[in-house]
Amino acid sequence: MRHSLAVRIGPIGYRIGADWRAPIDRLRDLYRDYPSADVPDFTVRLSATRPWRRWIRPSVAIAGDFTLPEAAPLPLAQALLAAEMAMNLQLALGGRRHLLLHAAVVERDGQAVVLTGESGAGKSTLATLLAARGWRFMGDEFALLDPVTGLVDPFPRLVSLKNGGIAAARAAWPHARYGPTLAGTPKGTIRHMVPDAEAIAAMDVPATPALLLFPRFGAASDSRHVPPSEAFVRLTQASTNYVALGEAGFAALTRFVRTVPAMAIDYPDGDAAVAQLEALWAMR
Amino acid sequence: MDERQPPADEPRAEPANRRRVLMLGAVGAAAVVSIRPALAQTAGSVLNCEIPVPDRGRAGSFIDADGGVVAPGTKGAFAPPPRPFKGEEVKRALTGSQLPGTSYESNRAYVNYIRRLQRGQGGFTCFASLQMPRG
Amino acid sequence: MADPLFRAPTVDLLHVCPLDDAFTAIFHRASGITHLLVSPAPEILAALADAPLTQAALRDRLAAAYDLADADPQALAARLAELVEVGLIDAA
Repeated sequence: MRHSLAVRIGPIGYRIGADWRAPIDRLRDLYRDYPSADVPDFTVRLSATRPWRRWIRPSVAIAGDFTLPEAAPLPLAQALLAAEMAMNLQLALGGRRHLLLHAAVVERDGQAVVLTGESGAGKSTLATLLAARGWRFMGDEFALLDPVTGLVDPFPRLVSLKNGGIAAARAAWPHARYGPTLAGTPKGTIRHMVPDAEAIAAMDVPATPALLLFPRFGAASDSRHVPPSEAFVRLTQASTNYVALGEAGFAALTRFVRTVPAMAIDYPDGDAAVAQLEALWAMR
Repeated sequence: MDERQPPADEPRAEPANRRRVLMLGAVGAAAVVSIRPALAQTAGSVLNCEIPVPDRGRAGSFIDADGGVVAPGTKGAFAPPPRPFKGEEVKRALTGSQLPGTSYESNRAYVNYIRRLQRGQGGFTCFASLQMPRG
Repeated sequence: MADPLFRAPTVDLLHVCPLDDAFTAIFHRASGITHLLVSPAPEILAALADAPLTQAALRDRLAAAYDLADADPQALAARLAELVEVGLIDAA
């Protein structure tokens, strides 16, 4: 690859290469405050395909050690999104040093709240709102659970904001740096936000998980305890590598659900979610 | 139902209420659920990862018998395979069968190359995942 | 024809972890599969860990340790069949 970038996000080092410079320049700018990666854990390669058939538009294909064979290429203008997706994919499929859970994580006083949910559940927006209210942002896509220590390692990648979440984030973080607005992606309109300086500076500081939340957007504020067995099953489904980790994954996840209280919360809007979390936090 | 009372002059048996009640459940009920991996985990299985020989930065280089990367045309070394190997193919080769499209010697050269992969080289994470007992 | 003997893995072949009042998680090392169990499945596994037992002997062993309120042999057979089906016990 003629153009490449080495960047470290928390404990994960990436090398991202492309055969044209635009996406690498863009990534280098957005990740300019991040450390470089000496020995990358994962590589991502972006290729611009310019097929001879005119009715197929130029597109970007992603490659790395791990691929999903049915993944469709994205339009060239969305190369930044392709790079971020590929970085997620390599970690999701290849990560073995941590138990990976689809979750956003924020921290206060050395203790972490893990907000778990599917793509589109609002984790990114919630994490951004909480970070604007004194919580440290530790990531919006994956919680990295260390199977030996039980601590959560930070993974403060670019925040992936979607559709309505973009405006909410801009209201909370008017002075943050943002990537370009990418319209018409498979997930709607996407915009990346660079995490704040505190989040980047603390990317090597783990936290003790202290609260697990299952947030659900769109209903009046409500909450209920989630017993460890239910949390366990839901998290096996929210993990991308529980099976691959074998007994270490089992030990890490059982320890997690037995030691971390879990609540399911319904919330009608971001402010209500923040208020519920603060109330639960005070009671823990 | 056993309704016998112990005779009064024998030592009392362990009172029934000291033992925890154990319900055997209904015939149609279930007491065991197996965790099925989420779709992402199935998709992320070894089948979907690839190991290029050699890594793309050295595409075109030849592989010698010990798995070292050498200049194209080097005597005794082997031309690189035309496409990356799939995780599943390498897994089988590690347990005795041969990589597709190879001779006995070229297979051994490629497998030696793969075994020497270091962190940061293309295909390393795929190779590492083959070493794990599951997935 | 002898009654079938049911046998569970010895304790070192299972990683048993109670999660809460109702559920116990078990990692079966040989298969790498995780199962979630409710009573009486964990108690049955424990009772069969030392030595293989017929269903009748298992019933007696459970009755000695617990108060078997609803001792329906068909229920016990159903529990055993379930455990055999997921591979946690063998029937010989």
